Amino acid sequence: MTTPAAILTSLRGDNALPLRPANQVMDLERLGSLHQSRLSFMRTLVRRIMKERWQITPAVFQLDKDGYGTVIYKINAPHGVFSFVLFSDYLSSEERNDRVIATKWDLTMALVEGEVDDVYLEKLRQNVPKQEAGRVDSRVFVLSRANRSARNFDYVVEQLAQGKQPDAERIAKVGYLYRTTAVYGSGKLGMADWEKVRSKFPDFARPFAGEMFVCLMLRNFSLLQAEHIAKHKSPENFAPFEPEIKRYFGIGNSTGLGMAPYLVNHPLLINQWVEMRELALARVRALGHIDDSIKQEFNCLIDRSYIHTAETETEDEWQTDNNQKVLQDLTSLKQHTNNGFSGWDELLQWSETNCSLQGQEMLVSIMLELYPELVDELEEFHNADEVLELDPLMPLQVLKQVIESRYDWALAIDFTAEGTRETCWYRSEEKMEPRLGSVADLEAKDKQMALGVGYAVRKCYNHLCEYMDEHADHTTARFMVAHPKMRGIVRRIQSMNRCIYGDIQANLLDRNILPMHLLRCKLAFFGVSKFDPRSRLWVRNTMFQGAPLLEDIGKPFNDDWFMPLAPKQQGVN
Amino acid sequence: MKISMNELSAALRRCFEATGYFVGNYEDAANMILWLEKHGLKGLDELTRALPFINTDSDKPLSSVVYEDKTSAIIDSHGRSALNCIAASVDLAHAKALENGIATVTVHNCHNRKFILKALTDCGRRGISAAAYWQNGSHVITEHTAAIKAGDRYPSYSEATTALEVNDLDAQALTIICSSRVDLTSSLQHSRGNSNTLDVSAEKVASNKEEAVANGINIDDELWGEINRLGTGILVSSSEQSRLGAGGR
Repeated sequence: MTTPAAILTSLRGDNALPLRPANQVMDLERLGSLHQSRLSFMRTLVRRIMKERWQITPAVFQLDKDGYGTVIYKINAPHGVFSFVLFSDYLSSEERNDRVIATKWDLTMALVEGEVDDVYLEKLRQNVPKQEAGRVDSRVFVLSRANRSARNFDYVVEQLAQGKQPDAERIAKVGYLYRTTAVYGSGKLGMADWEKVRSKFPDFARPFAGEMFVCLMLRNFSLLQAEHIAKHKSPENFAPFEPEIKRYFGIGNSTGLGMAPYLVNHPLLINQWVEMRELALARVRALGHIDDSIKQEFNCLIDRSYIHTAETETEDEWQTDNNQKVLQDLTSLKQHTNNGFSGWDELLQWSETNCSLQGQEMLVSIMLELYPELVDELEEFHNADEVLELDPLMPLQVLKQVIESRYDWALAIDFTAEGTRETCWYRSEEKMEPRLGSVADLEAKDKQMALGVGYAVRKCYNHLCEYMDEHADHTTARFMVAHPKMRGIVRRIQSMNRCIYGDIQANLLDRNILPMHLLRCKLAFFGVSKFDPRSRLWVRNTMFQGAPLLEDIGKPFNDDWFMPLAPKQQGVN
Repeated sequence: MKISMNELSAALRRCFEATGYFVGNYEDAANMILWLEKHGLKGLDELTRALPFINTDSDKPLSSVVYEDKTSAIIDSHGRSALNCIAASVDLAHAKALENGIATVTVHNCHNRKFILKALTDCGRRGISAAAYWQNGSHVITEHTAAIKAGDRYPSYSEATTALEVNDLDAQALTIICSSRVDLTSSLQHSRGNSNTLDVSAEKVASNKEEAVANGINIDDELWGEINRLGTGILVSSSEQSRLGAGGR
């Protein structure tokens, strides 16, 4: 197992590994081209559950024949006992809405510390189905809700009731029975703060581990519920899922703009995730031995990634075009490597000249997949202390140099040019939902969120240069007394300068900004697949497709559900 | 009611943003209040006293340096709340101490000075020892001191009611001492006619935090309502046009 000191020497100094540069990696379009990898949080969570053989069993199972009622799973993890509590209620199709402003859902659920008795269950029943309109306490880690994919759900139940299996080709198009529309944690609605979870509950002490676990449990419940309803519908003819097709069901997810401000407001955390991914890549480039078995596996993963991409359905033209490019890239990659290749560095450079950004990043994910021994231990280093710290002693000459070198991308933007400050991000009075607008809307302009990091840096730089005309020898502390409005951005500049990768390099105020890139970046770190943009502002995707099932825990595990494929079937109709 | 630390912090940030605090300052203000409350030092009581005045600070001049030499400075905060100006004063003391071993900064016309504890704590974490002293009250004078050693995570804090007479000249003043060479500690002198003395050790401050982390924070319903009401000032009214900006179906 590696150590923080070993990681530090790999990242900086004479013995640092060959990391890709920040201006390449932090480019927004590239971040929006990332794919899932074996460091994605769904993969790391499942690895942990499987390695540690968590015991997850239904403690309460009260569903009527139509699948409505209450279910509690008891989770015995190495460091504690937890409960996954789920309420399944009738919802008419008219009431079904994936937006954050919805007020009713098919399923609502909570991840809770300890076992749940009747009194506490009743308390949860009074609040969990209300979601944002309810209150929970600090025993609850995560709160979520999900809506049925009506077409798929009814079809799958009907197939099972008739003793048939769902058609894998159809499931390839929509690979889930439910879509989760929000997953809340980190102290929202009265829940446990992240500080509590991180410091006291090692089983969920990695970023978003609790949130990912709830989605995994939802996926498992959705399969159990479909079988339950089908069995009651036709006890004589019912057939359960075959394991292969069952594993091919994931859980759907709709992600909107809310995720975008998160990336800007948590720069140290995002930098940490990027650093670990890039360090993993650097390890593979420097240490990844290539032999026949690796070459063979590499070819298999190219083929698998090709089929996975080909099986990805989206109506969005832009994404369809991107997927087509990835298919071409994978074909070229295979041709290029058919006669062998000398090393990963050479191949990566070749991809940068010959492949789309999404194709290049697909190659990166495949490279990581080949070397678990070089990559997996980095999953322990995804946490960051998110304190942006001012360095009051930094001489202003140094601060100026830092801005000029680390934020050259921001200084290169002409913020007086038309359209460069046209977009504003604000919170609506409807559930504080983040929205995107134009500065032409004066109320939105006046109340916009501070997401224009590049523009803030430019303003700070101008003030700094002016101040230094008279006080070139002053420290940052003295500049802060004279210009307290610059405190936030100076603190950010200094803090991000301590990181390898720093801030996302994009002007979020630009007229042509594509929030989709931000959403996809975070979702790729989570580990989703099947990106299906519904506009430039929200995206549907699939989580945990191909992941092991609850009944797989404790059985041999090869951690091989990267880019899952539709199972081959015979005689399904 | 019971709320999480994250809820309090987010609501306070909205509240201060809506009342004209600028980027960087509204996070600082929220963190200063949360820090006191989380460590059992009654941050919400202090906020209750500050809240009626927080939207008046945007009309006041920014803090200005009245006097400065290598080891000291005098800053006039023009009647502002410590929530939006004290961190910069502590940073200045910090920078001077690093250059010269020890430094003193005196701040005048500054309200809600108890909020300095978070800024002092930041000094300790950054390897600088810091101490502060101030008096408060227009009829009965109370005095307060806090200090942290270099490298420590938690400060000590003391307060007492004094028998001092009101001195208008020294109203709303606060003295900060920082040192990179000397570990500063501070405690009030019990023999000077003080009463109602409260001494909170660094160890006690640390243990107070455990309760808030485990179970969240108790807050008066009315105060919670007021913080949230003020925070709605950042929200934009909804329209068909704005719904399109949410990207939903």
